[in-house]
Amino acid sequence: MFTRGTLIYIGQRLVLIVLAVLGVSSLVFLGIHRLPGDALFSEHLHGTQYELTLHHYGLDRPLWLQYVSFIGGMLHGDLGESLVNRGVSITPIVVREMSVSAEVGIVALLFTIGIGMSFGVVAAIRQNTWLDYVLSTTSVVGYSMPNFVVATFLILAFGVWLDNITQGTFYFQIGWPGRYGTIGAIWLPAFALGFPYASIVARLTRASMLEVIRQDYIRTARAKGLREWVITIRHSLRNALIPVITILGPLVIGIITGGVVIENIFGIPGLGKEFATSILNRDYNIVIGVFTGYAALVGLANLGVDLLYVVIDPRIRY
Amino acid sequence: MAATAAAVVTRPIAPEQASLWSDAWRRLRRNRLALAGVVYLTFLVVVALVALIHTPYPTYEVGVGIPYQGPGGQHWLGVDALGRDTLSRLMAGAQISLIVGVGTQIVVLAIGVPIGLAAGYFRGWFDQVVTFIINLFYGIPDLLVALILVFLLGPNLTNIIIAIAVTRWMDMARLVRGQTLSLREREFIEAARASGAKPSKILFGHILPNALGPIIIQATFGVPAAILFEAFLSFLGLGVPPPTPTWGSMAAEGIVTIRIAPAMVIAPSIALSLTLMAFNFLGDGLRDALDPRQRR
Repeated sequence: MFTRGTLIYIGQRLVLIVLAVLGVSSLVFLGIHRLPGDALFSEHLHGTQYELTLHHYGLDRPLWLQYVSFIGGMLHGDLGESLVNRGVSITPIVVREMSVSAEVGIVALLFTIGIGMSFGVVAAIRQNTWLDYVLSTTSVVGYSMPNFVVATFLILAFGVWLDNITQGTFYFQIGWPGRYGTIGAIWLPAFALGFPYASIVARLTRASMLEVIRQDYIRTARAKGLREWVITIRHSLRNALIPVITILGPLVIGIITGGVVIENIFGIPGLGKEFATSILNRDYNIVIGVFTGYAALVGLANLGVDLLYVVIDPRIRY
Repeated sequence: MAATAAAVVTRPIAPEQASLWSDAWRRLRRNRLALAGVVYLTFLVVVALVALIHTPYPTYEVGVGIPYQGPGGQHWLGVDALGRDTLSRLMAGAQISLIVGVGTQIVVLAIGVPIGLAAGYFRGWFDQVVTFIINLFYGIPDLLVALILVFLLGPNLTNIIIAIAVTRWMDMARLVRGQTLSLREREFIEAARASGAKPSKILFGHILPNALGPIIIQATFGVPAAILFEAFLSFLGLGVPPPTPTWGSMAAEGIVTIRIAPAMVIAPSIALSLTLMAFNFLGDGLRDALDPRQRR
């Protein structure tokens, strides 16, 4: 499966990812440093104290020198120090938050693909029946609901109504419990994150399934007397998957960005929450760091998707 | 025999001349979901226009009701944390959503159509550069770019429209480029070229009208995407700054108090979902109507 060519391909892609990350963070760095005003300007800092703080962050140097030392730090994996919480270095924060975001994102992706493909397959097999219409309409409805709306109704249902109706018997602790890696705290946010995209997968699966089940080899399989679910799963779905996986790349990016909103609603300490908080706090160094983390996450996710092609479709080779 | 012949003569051979657009309109009218979308959107535009001159309560006025009051009585959709009437704010929020949705598409059309036309028609290095930039933009998470742009430019309505358009123009450019690539090889374009028409005349007089169907469909789907983006930005606190009511910021305010005043978050959520749904159904209907060969 992974030949030598594939490994070389992975190596090339990793180099490109590093370059892209450097490029993106440079753009954000320069953009932020072009902003008028001063990151540390406040009424609590005066005179010498202000000069000292500027000097501590190296902000009194000319821009090009700051940029050189920023890139130098980046190459060593050092994203600098928080402007708001002095002495807190950013790299460990970003790495930890990346893993949290990735965890929620992967569960969301499983929801997206699972729900989307089963909807699509059922709608295609039962084409032009009421089931097809219901599922197709549900898809558009799902696609039209922003993820924070889905999240709102999930919180209402599981956090408020269910609790009220059963007088507290069913009470779901919603939000991050502080432990790392509990699925229970993830699945509601992951569902809210993944559901809007499930409809895209459902539509694509339905369309490509409809094309596949009219093929001759499906008739052959049926003529051989194979059971219906074997035909559906092994012969139709596997071939119908190929157009579907081409959308995985944009899908992953959508889920990663959707995480910004979902993490803020559910209080998940991932990259998205940090992003919004740092922008509102004007902690410029963290903004740059988080954006760098996102660039890396997107690059790695895209690489993962491209490698998945090889696994699913053996005809594709790098 | 004679009867059939007579019938043939009396019945016109071809149905009366139907242009592409009237044909499409006829097909669109038969699509019930798309029609429902049109009706809802008309209603929404009327509401947004009415909100310009009259809302049940002043939009910015604090304390017109008891804070967190539920729906019913004097306030149909309840009262928010500062005692402002939710229905009035919802009506005013429709303006922002529609302005952002349509405004963004105008900017996207203004950027995407010329670039796509030029790239598809002239090919060469310009096309390569454009394709490279489009692919570059597809690789970056759009919401993050929009967030950082709004952050850098400062949150106000114009900058939000610019930021969203910057992250959405590639869809249009890619579509127009693809259409142009296939249209430029057709005979009527060659005839135009042979008769000495200038490139601008060919592009805007011959290619663009023929690519109009897909462009309209793309723009229709682009409006809800932009509205959704604006809602995301507002939800994260980087939208049109308060006290201007937007659906996203209303939902963000409401979700904090979801236990005591669920109406505060439900009302804007439903309004937003219905609007996006109407646009998506309309887009689906338009696609079926304008491009009957490409049925889903």
